[in-house]
Amino acid sequence: MKSKYVKRILSAVIASALSMGLIAGCGSKSQEAEKDESGATVIKLGIHVANPKEQEPVTNSIVEAFNKANEGKYKVEFEAADTETHSKNMKLKAEDGTLPQIFWIEGSEASEYSEAGVLMDLTEFLEENSDIKTALDGMEEAFKDDDGQYGLPYQCNVQGIFYNKELFDNANVDYPTDETTYEEFIDMIKKLKDSGVTPLAIGSKNSAYAMWEFNEFLERYGWGDAIAQILDGKEKYNNKEFLKCFEALQGLKEAQAFPENMATIEYFDAKQLFDEGKAAMFGTGQWDCAEFDENIGDKIGFWWGPRFTDTDQNQDVVMKVPSAPIGVSAATAEDEELKEGVYEFLKFYYGEEAAKISYEGSIFPATNYEGVAASDTQYSMNAMLAALSNGWDSPKAAPDLTVPSSVQEALYDGIFGVLQGNYEPAEALDNMDATAANSQ
Amino acid sequence: MYWLSKNRYKAGLLLPTLLIYSTFIILPIAIAIYYSLTKYSGIGQPRFTGMKNYIRLFQDPLFWTSFKNTMIIFVLAFVLLLTLSFFIALLLNQKLKAVDFSKALIFSPAIIAPIIVGIIWVYILDPNIGILNNILDAIGADALKLKWIGGKSLSPYSIAIIYFWQQLGYLVTIFIAGLKMIPGDVLEAVKIDGASAVQEIRYVTIPMMRTTISTVAVLIITGVFKVFEIVQQTTGGGPNHLSETLVTYSYSQTFASGDYGYGMSLATVTFILSLIITAVYTTLTREKEE
Repeated sequence: MKSKYVKRILSAVIASALSMGLIAGCGSKSQEAEKDESGATVIKLGIHVANPKEQEPVTNSIVEAFNKANEGKYKVEFEAADTETHSKNMKLKAEDGTLPQIFWIEGSEASEYSEAGVLMDLTEFLEENSDIKTALDGMEEAFKDDDGQYGLPYQCNVQGIFYNKELFDNANVDYPTDETTYEEFIDMIKKLKDSGVTPLAIGSKNSAYAMWEFNEFLERYGWGDAIAQILDGKEKYNNKEFLKCFEALQGLKEAQAFPENMATIEYFDAKQLFDEGKAAMFGTGQWDCAEFDENIGDKIGFWWGPRFTDTDQNQDVVMKVPSAPIGVSAATAEDEELKEGVYEFLKFYYGEEAAKISYEGSIFPATNYEGVAASDTQYSMNAMLAALSNGWDSPKAAPDLTVPSSVQEALYDGIFGVLQGNYEPAEALDNMDATAANSQ
Repeated sequence: MYWLSKNRYKAGLLLPTLLIYSTFIILPIAIAIYYSLTKYSGIGQPRFTGMKNYIRLFQDPLFWTSFKNTMIIFVLAFVLLLTLSFFIALLLNQKLKAVDFSKALIFSPAIIAPIIVGIIWVYILDPNIGILNNILDAIGADALKLKWIGGKSLSPYSIAIIYFWQQLGYLVTIFIAGLKMIPGDVLEAVKIDGASAVQEIRYVTIPMMRTTISTVAVLIITGVFKVFEIVQQTTGGGPNHLSETLVTYSYSQTFASGDYGYGMSLATVTFILSLIITAVYTTLTREKEE
């Protein structure tokens, strides 16, 4: 009788174990740095897309150009995986000491990697290459802490709202300008909606990160000034200014700015709505420029977003910020040859030739070199450059990249919760405070 | 003469399986339980925090939302799958026309990857582009057009239906195999004794199928606690985690929020929950058998 009970318990344990096996996960080893057949030192570059040639063509071209210029000496090879898998892989590799020499880091996780001591300090690299430091023009500051320069910006992110001039013309709506206020924006949304198009395309399914246009909202309500105090625990996310910001987001929901099925479409579906002329506006960054040139051509416009009149915070801000960083694994410093190769690649990556390749591919590089610019047919990039010509300040980092990953997730959740009517503004901010408290 | 039934041989034969099972099932579970007692972002060293994650878990409204959703899926899937797959198996076990074609048709969803199942159903249930609402629209039944997925309440029910659709053929096949094991002479004797079809099912088929029914029930229980891809593909757990199940919420906390410790506490609770349900079910059915 007793053994029957034991059997029952055992069978239940086994059945449940199979369920848990799904979640428990496992890790894998990766290649160490090595030499290829030609004797070239292989440098691994961990990247957040599964197919760099298709999904990060600019980086792919830079790597190809570097490999060609350093044939027989150095060879950069990608370790490619989609963003989520890449992020998981890097954590596992950090654990067992098999990180690739260079790797893209999710912005909100960069400081955690630095604190764990798995990143190499790149201060020496910048000191040895003062021209690159000058060309970065302070972009590197976002990835610096007490332990040094733990990362360098992968690219420069220019974020805001692209709009389709043809749809604005059809709806008889004026194009937005630097002076357009939030109230005028709401009016614009209503007119566009009446014309039969989706005013602002956005998708939240598996795409909570796709909130780039709202970084500008947060910054114009004083995020940059307040965040240090909040991270120190002296201030709360649920404060007067942020509450107004989230109420402004709620106003967009009430004006029916978004697709009705935003909960079941992804960022890519929302972008398709814009590409196909079914949506008048789409919030994104320069990485989509080439696609818009192809689909919308010279009818594209770019706007930073509305000015807010219910706050005293600086409204003359643009979102030209460093993207997530790339880091170098600390283990690289132990091998002089490898370290030299990594430095050579970084010199190339942040050099003028790579900047030219970037512009050709409609990507803003992290560096600025005189005379390197977009061509006339790069309409989207030129629209961004025109918007940038106002000379306004940029924050040191995009608001969503200034918080730990759990709070970042709560920020995304809060924004989309308010946009979909699932959260009240104060509730969304309270959730962020609760998440911050739990992350201590 | 060598007797393989000697204990040392038995142990030797069991050892490789035991080692593999311990390494790939037991050890990860032990590690997950350990992480559930820590604060850990996945990078650096975990910090031991005792039961803090579990206290947080029981105060987390999203845990209760994902628990409720899992239970909705469990109850619906359990009732629908266990009963309908049994009766469909009874039907397909008859000598009817096109029975082989019907078997193939019913089994076909089981060979589709769950991620594809999710995509197919998005095109059926999406409130805007989905076929269902478009049909309702076309026939003038506007009042019945609902947010089957992506809304605040219906997603878990829709997920249960999708899971039912996906699993039905597989479970029907198991039941058919079980039905084929019932000796023909027993069924013949029942018929000679004048039992009706209902009496035959109630007093002969079901009792003789008890082991198969138990197996199917355990498969449904463990399967429900592993529903992942369908949720990810149809709603991504959203909006705002309102359609999360325990597994997807655990995944989201672990990998999206980078809160490995808390994610593992959710995984551990899911493990314990499926353990309890399986144990209760097997105990109840065994007692009946005895």
